[in-house]
Amino acid sequence: MKNGFLIFLASLVVLGGSWCAFVLAPVLQLGGLKQTTVLNSSDVYPVGRPGEANQGLQVYRAEGCAACHTEQIQQSGVACDVVLTSVGTNETAVRKAFENGLKQNNWPLFMTQNFHKAGEPEMLLINVSKEIADAAVDTITAAGGKAEIHIIATGPDIARGWGRRHSVAEDYLYDNPVQLGSVRIGPDLADEGARSPDASWQLLHLYAPQSVVKGSAMPPYRYLFQIRQIGREPSPDALNLPKAFAPPSGYEVVPKATARELAAYLLSLRADVPLRDAPFSSR
Amino acid sequence: MSGEAKSNPPQPPASEPGIARSTVPVWIIVLTLMLLFLGMVYFDHHSGWFNPQIYGPYTSADQLESYQPKSGEAAMLAHGKARYDQVCGLCHGLDGLGKPGQTPPLAGSEWVNTRDFQRLARIPLEGVSGQLAVKGQAWSLSMPAMGAAMTDADLAGVLTYIRSSWGNQNGPVTAAAVKTVRAQLGLHPQPLTAEALKALPE
Repeated sequence: MKNGFLIFLASLVVLGGSWCAFVLAPVLQLGGLKQTTVLNSSDVYPVGRPGEANQGLQVYRAEGCAACHTEQIQQSGVACDVVLTSVGTNETAVRKAFENGLKQNNWPLFMTQNFHKAGEPEMLLINVSKEIADAAVDTITAAGGKAEIHIIATGPDIARGWGRRHSVAEDYLYDNPVQLGSVRIGPDLADEGARSPDASWQLLHLYAPQSVVKGSAMPPYRYLFQIRQIGREPSPDALNLPKAFAPPSGYEVVPKATARELAAYLLSLRADVPLRDAPFSSR
Repeated sequence: MSGEAKSNPPQPPASEPGIARSTVPVWIIVLTLMLLFLGMVYFDHHSGWFNPQIYGPYTSADQLESYQPKSGEAAMLAHGKARYDQVCGLCHGLDGLGKPGQTPPLAGSEWVNTRDFQRLARIPLEGVSGQLAVKGQAWSLSMPAMGAAMTDADLAGVLTYIRSSWGNQNGPVTAAAVKTVRAQLGLHPQPLTAEALKALPE
C-alpha cells in the first residue's frame, strides 16, 4: 500500500476527533457534576434514593417502562408574572402609575383584578417578557408600592402539568442507568412523585390502570402482584380495588416486592424544586 | 468485407479514466472552514460555549442570571415560615401562641416586637434559661439554642416571619444582619439567663 501511513493518520484524526466530541467533551462538561443547592434555600438537590426506590429503578428498567414513558421535561420559553405585594401608603398613586404605564408602554392588559381573591397578592401582569416586568416593577416602586416578579417556565410539557421546569443534568445524578426514554405513549414521569405522591394510588395504577385513570392505554402489570386466598384475616397490604377490578370474593391482591419497589421508585421521581440552571418562582 | 474489418480494429474511447494525483478544490476547503466557523458561532449563541448550566430556552449565562427569581420579601417569608413550622412550631405553635405553662407566645410578645432585632436574634442563637416575663406572665424557661445550626439566611427568614406574623408588624431581617449578630456572640457555654438577656440592647 503506497499511502498506508497517510490513511492511518487520516483515520486516527477522524476517530480521535469524534471520540473527543462524543466522549471527552461531555465528560469535561458534566463528568464532575455534584449535588447543588435549591434556589433561595439551603437544601441540597438531588437527595439520594432510599434503597427500595433504588431497586425500583432496576424494575423500571427490566419492565421496559422507558419504551412508553420519558423522563425529560422540555421547556420552550420563560415568562414573568408581576405580583403586587404591597400598595404602600398611597394606593391611588400606585394604581394610577401602573395604569399610565399600561397605556404608555402597551403592556398586555389582563383583567386580573376580576380574579383577585381577598387576602392574596394581586397579579398585575401575566405572561410578559422580562423587560416589561422590570419596567412595571420600577413604575410601582417609584410610586411607593412594592411588586415582585414571578418567573414561570413555559412550554407544552409544562402546560400539560408534567412539571414546573425543564429537566437538567442534576435530575439524573443518582440514576444508573439513566432512563430517559424517547417515546411518549404514556405521560412523562420526571415529576411523577410530586404529581401523584400516594403509594397506594401507584400500586392500584400498576395493577389495573383503568381503575384509577379512565381510558388509560397502559397495560396492567398483574404479574407484579399476587392474587391469593384470604387467610385468617385480610393482609394490610391488600389493594383496595373498585368492584369491577376486584378479584372474586375470598381472594385478595397483594403487591410483590417488585411492585412495591417500582412504586417507591415512581414516588422518588421529583423534579419540583427551582435550581440555578432551571429557575422558576416557587409559590 | 472481412478484410476491411480486420484493418479497422476497435479503438479505445479517448476519455478512458486514468490514474493521476488530484487535489481537493480550494473552494471545498474554504466552505468547510466557513461551516466550522458558523458552527462555532451557533454554539456560542445557543449554549454559552458548552456551559453545563445553560439549557433550552436560555442562550447565555447573562440571560440565565437575569431570570433567577429574586429572593424578595414574599419569598423570604415563605422560606422562613417553612423553617419555623419545621423547627420552632413544635413548641411555639404554628399559630405563634406557644403552649400554656411551657412555651411563651411569640404573637404580641414584647420580646419579639422590639425596635431592633439584636436581642431577639440572640435567643435562638444562644438559648434562654431561667425566669422570664412575657406578656405579663412569668415563665420558667429552658430553651436550647435551636437556631444555632441554621444558616444566616434561614434564621433571617424565621425572624422575619415571627416579626411580621400573627399581628406582629415589623420590618424584614436580612441575612447580613444575622451574620453580624452571630459574629458578636461570645463563647457562652450556658444558655443566656433572663438577666443577661435584659441587659442586652434591643
